[in-house]
Amino acid sequence: MTAHIVRIGLRSAASLLAVSALAFLVVAFMPSDPVMIAIRAWNLPVDETTISALRTEWGLDRPFPARYLSWLADFVTGDWGRSFRTGEPVLDEFSSRLPLSLGIGLGGLTLAAFAAIPLGFAAALKPDGVADRLSRLLAITVQAVPAFWLGLVLIWVLGVQLRLISPFSAGIDVMALAGGLVALHSTGMLARVYRRDLIEQTMQPYYRTALAKGLTRRQALWRHGHSSALYALLSAMRSEAGWAIGTTAALEVLFGLPGVSQFLVQSISARDHSVLLAYIMVVAGWMLAMNAGVELAMRRLDPRAAR
Amino acid sequence: MNRIPRRAFAAAAVSAAALLTAMAPASAQEALKVGATFLLGSTDPTAGSAGWALASHGIGEKLFMVDKDGKLVPELAARAERSGELEWTVTLRSDRYFSDGTPVTAAAIGEGFTNTFEKSKTAAATGGKLTFETVDGLTLKVTTEKPVPLIQALFAEWPLVAYTLNDAGEAVYTGPYAIAELKADSHLELAPNAHFDGTERSPITLRKFGDAQTMALAFEAGELDLAFGLPSEVLSRLKANAGLTVKSFQVGYQYFGFLNIARPAFSDPMVRQAVDLAIDRDQLVAAINGGQPATGAFAPYFPFAPIEPRMSDLEKAAGLLDEAGWTLGPDGMREKDGQPLRIEAFAYPQRPDLVTMLPVVKAALAKVGIDVGTQVVENLNEVAASGEFDIFLWAQHTAPSGDPAFFLNSMLRSDGPLNHARYGSDEFDAIIAGFSTSGDIERRAGIALDAQQKLFEDVPVTFLVSPAWHVGVSERLSGYEPWGSDYHVIRPDMGETR
Repeated sequence: MTAHIVRIGLRSAASLLAVSALAFLVVAFMPSDPVMIAIRAWNLPVDETTISALRTEWGLDRPFPARYLSWLADFVTGDWGRSFRTGEPVLDEFSSRLPLSLGIGLGGLTLAAFAAIPLGFAAALKPDGVADRLSRLLAITVQAVPAFWLGLVLIWVLGVQLRLISPFSAGIDVMALAGGLVALHSTGMLARVYRRDLIEQTMQPYYRTALAKGLTRRQALWRHGHSSALYALLSAMRSEAGWAIGTTAALEVLFGLPGVSQFLVQSISARDHSVLLAYIMVVAGWMLAMNAGVELAMRRLDPRAAR
Repeated sequence: MNRIPRRAFAAAAVSAAALLTAMAPASAQEALKVGATFLLGSTDPTAGSAGWALASHGIGEKLFMVDKDGKLVPELAARAERSGELEWTVTLRSDRYFSDGTPVTAAAIGEGFTNTFEKSKTAAATGGKLTFETVDGLTLKVTTEKPVPLIQALFAEWPLVAYTLNDAGEAVYTGPYAIAELKADSHLELAPNAHFDGTERSPITLRKFGDAQTMALAFEAGELDLAFGLPSEVLSRLKANAGLTVKSFQVGYQYFGFLNIARPAFSDPMVRQAVDLAIDRDQLVAAINGGQPATGAFAPYFPFAPIEPRMSDLEKAAGLLDEAGWTLGPDGMREKDGQPLRIEAFAYPQRPDLVTMLPVVKAALAKVGIDVGTQVVENLNEVAASGEFDIFLWAQHTAPSGDPAFFLNSMLRSDGPLNHARYGSDEFDAIIAGFSTSGDIERRAGIALDAQQKLFEDVPVTFLVSPAWHVGVSERLSGYEPWGSDYHVIRPDMGETR
């Protein structure tokens, strides 16, 4: 197991390195000059002295590989640069905002997984029953209805008409609503994946044997199908992790929550390079961490996967 | 089990009632909740438009300001007197304090301004780089690089918020509120400045909204005491709600379009004049549901604003395009030497009215055969500086200091730092050079009118609408009267509790 964890760690680190190089390349060659952006943002005089001083200070007069290595060294040692817009260290901005974003994204995803299991189980237990139809409807509807739009409707109904929540207070009710919307997006899909695998298990000889031994359909499905279906569900969560990032970003903007995504939206328009790079790295880190976590969980469920 | 004696119970009840009564004023101290689509980005007063935001949020003050009647009046200064061609003596008010409790002195204020002029080019747009020398505790000698006939107006310009630097090098201000917490792009917690004037005030939470529609929803949900800058399309809905109050007011902002002279389509002044004539201002006003057609560069209540609204004349516009060699093709669009007359028009969402106006402009220009592509961009300063546009719809307070010089100098002079139209006219520059020699208010108004006449001829800018803006107020802030555009959103009288 330890060797496996080390292997995953090394693979993740290599992926992160590749992402960092690509991100740095893309951001460095964006059609905007960070020096000119800073000059405008800070109202500095547009003269050669200022321009060359900033270029030297930021190492922009050095070759690209040297710049990348210097940025990487700073990044891994905790110096993520300063934001053009706020003048604050990017690491500080992210440190104060990440818990909120992670809370919504990870909380929503976890909630989705927990909701998907009973829903998918009920759907598999009685194909074409209420739960089966509900899970199908949910899976299709959330693909057609953006979380942003659904959030707006909920603000209107729960906040404006019924006054049950304070939608822009950034309070616990809003966080729960945002997390619930993230969960809603993934619940239907995860439930369908879980159901499909359970149904497949019902074709297996050991399932029929279990029934023959006197277990009810519910007992046989749970005892002999759940682990395999859970494996499939965890696998599907990897792709849902990407969706969760997008949905969280949209909801942070909608509810005015001070997370990293809202900070990013403003930083894109300002071409705030340090923030853009940090965000890409954080998102890559999130995806790799999710992958690693899911992979370890799957291995625990099915040790044969390691072979 | 012992029974509680009646007397003890009564005493406890009285105590509880007293406690509750004592707690009642605490509700009056509840934070006022203000919503806006803009928020201070940095506490550095020299960064970007922080000077404007700091004054707008009630954190900073300037030496002089434009009051609600549009008059230039002293704020942190008591007076300013000219002592030489380039020298002024500024006397500060006594008994004023920074929010950390240190007294306002000439040396402290001079230190802040010196820092501003070292770092900010915009601050130097009118008078060049200013230097400051302390004469005595409250008197500053100010030396300008260029002659400035009305230093009061210069010190009312938005980059020149007054502050000093503390031992940590952080700016400390003098306004009625101090920054308790700033979360960029999200919210700002303001604590009353105990050293302002001794009046008790409620704290204020200023929340930034990504768009005005969402802010209107928050106002409807009862989450805001003040929603500043409501979109015009929700006004009828909000006004139908008996519990909500919406107030509209004329602002000093102007909506106009920069016509980029460096682009091939607009290098010919006749094409620019045609565009200016083709746009129907009445339709723009109807589209944004408020305001009036622009008469020129300034809001109509200023004495240096022309009287007559800008003309629209499609026939004349078409004639100018014919004369310029752009002929109508069979598809109703114009071309010259086989090239279509196509331009790119931009707007930015931070001012939603501009986005509303964009398709109206497109439709108006299509009537005279100009094909217009439209784009909405968030990085307005980037795009404007890059020059990759033909028309850029823009919102700007053109007389924030109550004087016309700053706008014309910074945005239209040949070497102006924000000359997005790439306009270069010796004649125009010579006209506005008059600002540096005359301090007479009437004479300055005359210079501004002459300058605008020149702009009407050359059309580096098409002046479109003098808008009205809208704010929503809760019952708690029902006495709030908006004025000064968005330069004084949070004011000393707003959060007073006694």
